[in-house]
Amino acid sequence: MKKVIIIKYGELTTKKENINLFLTTLKENIKQKLQEEQVELTYDKGRMFLIPKKEQFDSIILKLQEVFGIHEINIAYELESLDLEEIQKTIFSLLKEKDFKTFKVETKRSNKKIPKTSLEISRMVGGFLLKQLQDKRVDVHDPDIVIHIELRNTKSYIYFEKVTGLGGYPVRTLGKGLLMLSGGIDSPVAGYLTMKRGVKLEAIYFESPPHTSINAKNKVLELSKILSKYNGELKLHVIKFTEIQEAIYKNIPHEYLITIMRRMMYRIAEVIAIRGNAKILVNGESIGQVASQTLTSMKAINEVVHLPVIRPVACFDKLEIIALAKKIGTYETSILPFEDCCTIFVPDHPVINPDRKLCEEYENKIPYKELIYKAIKNQEVIKVTAKNSNDFSDLL
Amino acid sequence: MIYLDYSATTPISLEVLDSYNKASKEFIGNPNSLHSLGVKSKELMESATKQISELLGIQEQELIYTSGATESNNMALIGTALHYGKRGNHIIVSKLEHPSIYKICDYLKELGFEISYVKHEANGLVDFEDLKKLIRPETILVSICNVNSELGIRQPLKMLRQIIKKENPNTIFHSDMTQALGKIPVNVKDVDLASFSMHKVYGPKGIGLLYKSKMVHIAPLIHGSSKDSELRPGTPPVPLIAAAAKSIRLGIKDLDRKETFIRKLNEKITTFLQEYPKITINSTNYSIPHILNISLGTIRPETFIHALEEYEIYVGTNTACASGELSSSVMAIYDDEDRASSTIRISLSYLTTTEEIERFMQCFKIVYHRLEELQ
Repeated sequence: MKKVIIIKYGELTTKKENINLFLTTLKENIKQKLQEEQVELTYDKGRMFLIPKKEQFDSIILKLQEVFGIHEINIAYELESLDLEEIQKTIFSLLKEKDFKTFKVETKRSNKKIPKTSLEISRMVGGFLLKQLQDKRVDVHDPDIVIHIELRNTKSYIYFEKVTGLGGYPVRTLGKGLLMLSGGIDSPVAGYLTMKRGVKLEAIYFESPPHTSINAKNKVLELSKILSKYNGELKLHVIKFTEIQEAIYKNIPHEYLITIMRRMMYRIAEVIAIRGNAKILVNGESIGQVASQTLTSMKAINEVVHLPVIRPVACFDKLEIIALAKKIGTYETSILPFEDCCTIFVPDHPVINPDRKLCEEYENKIPYKELIYKAIKNQEVIKVTAKNSNDFSDLL
Repeated sequence: MIYLDYSATTPISLEVLDSYNKASKEFIGNPNSLHSLGVKSKELMESATKQISELLGIQEQELIYTSGATESNNMALIGTALHYGKRGNHIIVSKLEHPSIYKICDYLKELGFEISYVKHEANGLVDFEDLKKLIRPETILVSICNVNSELGIRQPLKMLRQIIKKENPNTIFHSDMTQALGKIPVNVKDVDLASFSMHKVYGPKGIGLLYKSKMVHIAPLIHGSSKDSELRPGTPPVPLIAAAAKSIRLGIKDLDRKETFIRKLNEKITTFLQEYPKITINSTNYSIPHILNISLGTIRPETFIHALEEYEIYVGTNTACASGELSSSVMAIYDDEDRASSTIRISLSYLTTTEEIERFMQCFKIVYHRLEELQ
């Protein structure tokens, strides 16, 4: 009997006008994700069907669990008919390998030409099984096993388990955003949540050699690699921030160091975003977490840009962010102890309520437009995929 | 040359040697250095560690690099004894261990530990009942090798673990898996500590592994300053580590196919030896086919080995680490001094060819008759 993978997408089906864009994108994302597996992908109303050429369901399902827009995955047995007798017999033979005491049958029929209703079919199959399997009982509330039957146009499907997908929208359906990626715990989580809503990410990272080390950059590369599992290839813009940071340190009152530094970062990020056709900036700021993330600080920093700034974790507690970081697999990398741009040159008493006029006055002490132009011109662009970085396969 | 002493050591695989050379030339930084050369070496080392851990089904922090199985055995036994010495002073080992285990036990006896030697069945398997009886509340460690180096007897580690943990859940279980890796599927999770040596799996000499479950603690024997490897400080030998990762990856590939082939070679020799009534086969039903141990009767094994050498054929006596002495494993099982003093070990590889075995049998015949006449 043929085994197939059924892919279901919940929220997408409510998008009446744009459904095609959503589905085409989802299909492309799935194909991209499974490019190393041998699969055939077909599409039918409300479902996609994957037919693996080899028995490799586990690895495929793990990969599908990293694709946004998929709400549920089933491994199903496919029958080339809608004949209920045959379905019953097949279920009976499949159940021989299963260990259970109680069961329940659930039927869905998208083919309304079938004379029996879903409920009637469930009852009929349930009755048949009860007769065949003397020692088993029906339990509609808490069964050991749920037998799902789906009747479609010409084929029917039987499956026993549901694997939950990530949900959300297929990445790219909502356009592009630029993630300010620091290497900490918050920004990768912010990136993940943005991708979940269908936004394709690029990322920007500020490095300050020799004050920051290659380890800090590698850490960001590793985080990018993890994010690229969900995003597909992630374009990482690495900006050399040393000159700007040193100029700020030398010329500007130290309590304003962080505020001005953030304003510079925002300005650079906006230019990179606009050039790459990204519609939003995304970062991991969380209200009140540090001095630069008070509301007054956010306002003083935010006003240098015009693009919307999305802060997906703004209202999360640190522990909530950590829990998510662990779930998506970035936490262990994020906590590696390497200095980044934001942790060097930290003043003892950063300003909590920065004044806009003072910010402008201080900034004008340094030729920041020139420095920003130079930093952008010298950016390094790295295309990160889940595979690259550290490929030692010839050595190991 | 016909090499039939693969259980003493294996020739390094050329692919592995390439890795060693390349890593030596291109990864010159000390992985503990902060600069980019150091980082690069560290990345290679971490990738190698990840690969080995995945292949063995363990976590990366459970892997310690040593200089070889003897060091791993020392770390496991002495380290456990020193750490858990307050809990108890009793250690059990089998009678089919590698000589290094017995030497370590002699040392531990001097430190005040009591060593028990568990009995065997006639077929070489550990006597489960005897093991049960020996385990006491103060038994801190049992060490039983997965595959014995002289006779190739394979012990059922999973069952042994169940027995040990049932009698005393605190008793730690170590296994010397040196002769098992690359010959049979190893399940490291059957034990708490396991020793490996890379030169037995077509890897370089000078590197071994110790698996240490994260649930178990051992006292360090070597003291130094590396923060990443507290139990084995010192500059990590990155090229050896990369080579180790590759030799394990290649070594555990196609085990079934390799074993089937080796079994055929083994049967060929065994059938051939039936023509010699004075020769006894020491390997039992539980021996792996890679190791064929026989006793020559009255012929001295050293003489026999040198005589074969004239034909460029190389076989081993007991284990390379105890050549010239009575075979302790054969003594343990057969309790026959004549038999234990005349053993040779023919150890086979997937690299061995049928032609080599034909030639070996021809020369064996000539040498045997020549030496037999002198008796």
